[in-house]
Amino acid sequence: MPDKINLAVIGAGPGGYAAAFLAADLGMNVTLIDKEENPGGVCLYRGCIPSKALLHVAKLISETEEAKNWGIEFPKPKIHLDKLREWKNNVVNKLTGGLGTLSKQRKINFIQGTASFTESNSLLIKKENEKDQELSFDKIIIATGSKIVSIPSLELKSERLLNSNSALNLPAIPKSLLVIGGGYIGLELGSVYQALGSKVSVVEMLDGLLPGADRDLVSHLSKRLKTKFDNIMLKSKVVKMNEQKAGIQVKIESEDGNTSEITYDYVLMSIGRKPDTSGLGLENTKVKVNKRGWINVDNQMKTDDPNIFAIGDIVGEPMLAHKASHEGRVAVEVISGHKSAFEPMAIPAVVFTDPEIAWAGLTENQAKEKNIIYEVAKFPWAASGRATTLDRFDGVTKILLDPETERILGIGICGPGAGELIAEGMLAIEMGANLTDLKLTIHPHPTLSETIMEAAEVFFGQSTHIYRPKKK
Amino acid sequence: MAKEFKLPDLGENIESAEVVSVLIKVGDTVKKEQSIIEIETDKATIEVPSNIAGKISEVLVNEGDSVKVGQTIINVDEDGKSDEKEEAKAEAKEGKKTDGKGEREEEELSPKKEEAQSGVSEVLDFKVPDLGESIESADVINVLVKKGDSISKDESVIEIETDKATVEVPSSVEGKIVELNVKIGDKVKMGDVLLKVESSKGAVPSKEDKEKPVEKYEEQKQEDEQKEKFEEEEQSTAEKGEVEEMKPGECDDQPPILKASAPAAPSVRRIARELGVDINAVRGTGPGGRISMNDVKAHVKKLMQKPAEGFGFGIKKEALPDFSKYGKIERESMSKIREKTATHLSYAWAVTPHVTQFDQTDITEFEKDRKELSKRIEEHGAKLTVTGILIKIISEGLKKFPQFNSSIDMEKKEIIYKKYINIGVAVDTEYGLLVPVIKNVDEKNLIDISVELNSLAEKARNKKLSLEEMQGGCFTITNLGGIGGTYFTPIVNSPEVAIMGISRANYKPVYDKEGSFEPRLMLPLSISYDHRIIDGADAIRFLRWVCEALEEPLKIFM
Repeated sequence: MPDKINLAVIGAGPGGYAAAFLAADLGMNVTLIDKEENPGGVCLYRGCIPSKALLHVAKLISETEEAKNWGIEFPKPKIHLDKLREWKNNVVNKLTGGLGTLSKQRKINFIQGTASFTESNSLLIKKENEKDQELSFDKIIIATGSKIVSIPSLELKSERLLNSNSALNLPAIPKSLLVIGGGYIGLELGSVYQALGSKVSVVEMLDGLLPGADRDLVSHLSKRLKTKFDNIMLKSKVVKMNEQKAGIQVKIESEDGNTSEITYDYVLMSIGRKPDTSGLGLENTKVKVNKRGWINVDNQMKTDDPNIFAIGDIVGEPMLAHKASHEGRVAVEVISGHKSAFEPMAIPAVVFTDPEIAWAGLTENQAKEKNIIYEVAKFPWAASGRATTLDRFDGVTKILLDPETERILGIGICGPGAGELIAEGMLAIEMGANLTDLKLTIHPHPTLSETIMEAAEVFFGQSTHIYRPKKK
Repeated sequence: MAKEFKLPDLGENIESAEVVSVLIKVGDTVKKEQSIIEIETDKATIEVPSNIAGKISEVLVNEGDSVKVGQTIINVDEDGKSDEKEEAKAEAKEGKKTDGKGEREEEELSPKKEEAQSGVSEVLDFKVPDLGESIESADVINVLVKKGDSISKDESVIEIETDKATVEVPSSVEGKIVELNVKIGDKVKMGDVLLKVESSKGAVPSKEDKEKPVEKYEEQKQEDEQKEKFEEEEQSTAEKGEVEEMKPGECDDQPPILKASAPAAPSVRRIARELGVDINAVRGTGPGGRISMNDVKAHVKKLMQKPAEGFGFGIKKEALPDFSKYGKIERESMSKIREKTATHLSYAWAVTPHVTQFDQTDITEFEKDRKELSKRIEEHGAKLTVTGILIKIISEGLKKFPQFNSSIDMEKKEIIYKKYINIGVAVDTEYGLLVPVIKNVDEKNLIDISVELNSLAEKARNKKLSLEEMQGGCFTITNLGGIGGTYFTPIVNSPEVAIMGISRANYKPVYDKEGSFEPRLMLPLSISYDHRIIDGADAIRFLRWVCEALEEPLKIFM
């Protein structure tokens, strides 16, 4: 029996802890290093989880308003911000604490601190209030993730200027909030504050919200946000910000060069994230970093240094938790001697706005860009019984397929619950399923999941709930 | 129009080839039939002629690349339209469309400006766009908006049914609908005004004013400049923000969701990887080629049954010794021709039970005639050679001995008799052994054959043989007489069943009828044959017949 493999994982986000846990399950000696008290990373502490807790609240508030159309009227909700914050923190603590327990149960050596390479198999670990420690390992996985991007020229030392971290801490309910960046983080957090009572405006540089997503999916969201938000300024950018007594004065320049100055109570800057390799001591290893700051890896997550693997945001787009955990597991499998590789057919993307937008695999934008021949099977939610019971017609389910084999190449969904529904599309893509497979799979009634089956039926001109005969 | 030239089918199961040299460059004007690249396949080096003409805008291969059949080699702008690409680029810059058709669409889609002061609301028309493919009108089967709605660009407005498909028509304008001119059941045609919107604060840049094209252009230009400036600034801001500019949706490593990736479940792909099998090489038996676990296993089984490098029959490969232990060595990679020759001959040797029969024939008289006749053929730029004459004689011989013009199908337990006579001639070149084939020799006279033989040999030496010129042989002749030697044992060029070897003719003392020695010019002939189908007696009968035909050509007709 060879000795147990000594593995270190730097960073305990969804990629790092998934890797560490699997490594322990496979019998390795695992050290997991993170700045926080418990595993979780940005996803649990400052990202996916707290934002979803708050979006749940936002949706509830929005539904109580809509309920007046259904004969039920609620008074305007009283919002106890401290209590809401506490509940959100409880959600985070419950989950991160749970991960801490799971880590202990697996006998993982969890170290709260920061690590940097002194050699390709040695780490200098700095801990608060404790002596530095240098440890050597057989293999090391870098999973340090990404950090928030800001525009230095717009930096203000002001509590009124929020980023995605501080915004999740709910410092106040601003009277007015400007969200810089029409990407998913900005729209999700903007939706939370809008529901809590802020007048929210969005400024986006490009000509549409959620750049990259297919426009027909985004259009329903845009339409709803136009009614909810105060102002959506496209093809515009912030050129200057000043803190004043009443808020932050923002100078916005539109595409035609016109500028306007508006004062907002708070401003949220959410323009993206970037890889974080600073302080890792990569110069002491053979690890190579590309020009965007991402660590070079092959499809087995190996870096240019034979002892070192890297996973998650730090190796590139898409910077998503589920991509990171899959990569983490691949890295560990490879370390344990399996011929594993990161080779998914698709990685799903979900925007948790209301309506949600989710897609997986090929998008129409990509297909056009790469000249991939495809056809679309589409089912509007206006024809869905379940959507009608929810009083939500602002949805669509579409499937991209290869006309030759009917193989499913991609799925896009807009509508409440799209994030849950996309999983079926992922399975279909991974299994190499074709449209007939989806058509012939019985879906429960009445559910939104039927829209996937019916989209397939529409393609064959056989949808029960849409009359659209197929053309010969 | 820009066109692409793809590597054409190279015949006989050849899927890819190595690019030896690229004969053109970007900017060149190519003609049809002009050679574009030189490639080396398993069988030969060939030049690939273009089937399109025009100015080359892009060369997509480099020397040393491996190219597949169907792979794009170059892009050209077709004759007389070489500027089109430039124009298209300009268009792309101006608007959002990138092709010629798009331009037309753009015009039709563009809102008609009714009020133009910027900053004031304006009313824009949305017209039915070009429905494409000679569709003149369509039925409205659904109206997705109503008066008073605010619509945005690309939002679907109506659903129409043409005789080809049902499509949603997206809006090209945005704003509040002030007039809706369409209802379910209407027939609409291109150019009909579907609705009017009041645009908010001139958010939609006016793009068209048909009466004033120049102004439109200026306006557009300004817009572009602003846009560029805007983008530039944006870029610099981004740089300051330490974040690399990324286009929307751009990602470095997207999963390989392409038609080319094999349809197989993750568990199946995982197994394939563990077994060291390229999942894309597995033939899927499910619908749409879906690959099951059993398909992967069957593939592995097939791989294991396949004899390694052409050796079967339980012969194990022996490892090579380390020659460098004994002295200096140099390793050189095999050329494709050498590699193919090696594999092919190993196969032929291993599969065919060879027997070689020798005989000699008196060509003293024949040589006199040949030299005489050769003068006549020289007028056609070729010589009458022993090989040339043997081709013609063997052509007759194959008619008399049809088993020599056959192939064997062991799987079906059948013998295939060929009703055509194509004869291959081995040519020694500096690149290796090549075998051009002269087709339908029975229909050709000696002059034709001599001329063709000469030209094929020339082509072979200059690497100009096409694959077609090396395919379809029934019988092969190999003549080493030019160099010397008496007899040799050539290897049958499988799936042919016999090969004739010619060695150097020599004067030998031969008893004449009177019992005295006479110097006669004797030609040594060897024939190797596939004993599975040709018996020894048949072989010597055939060889004797050839010998006698050389001695007394009139026998051919008996």
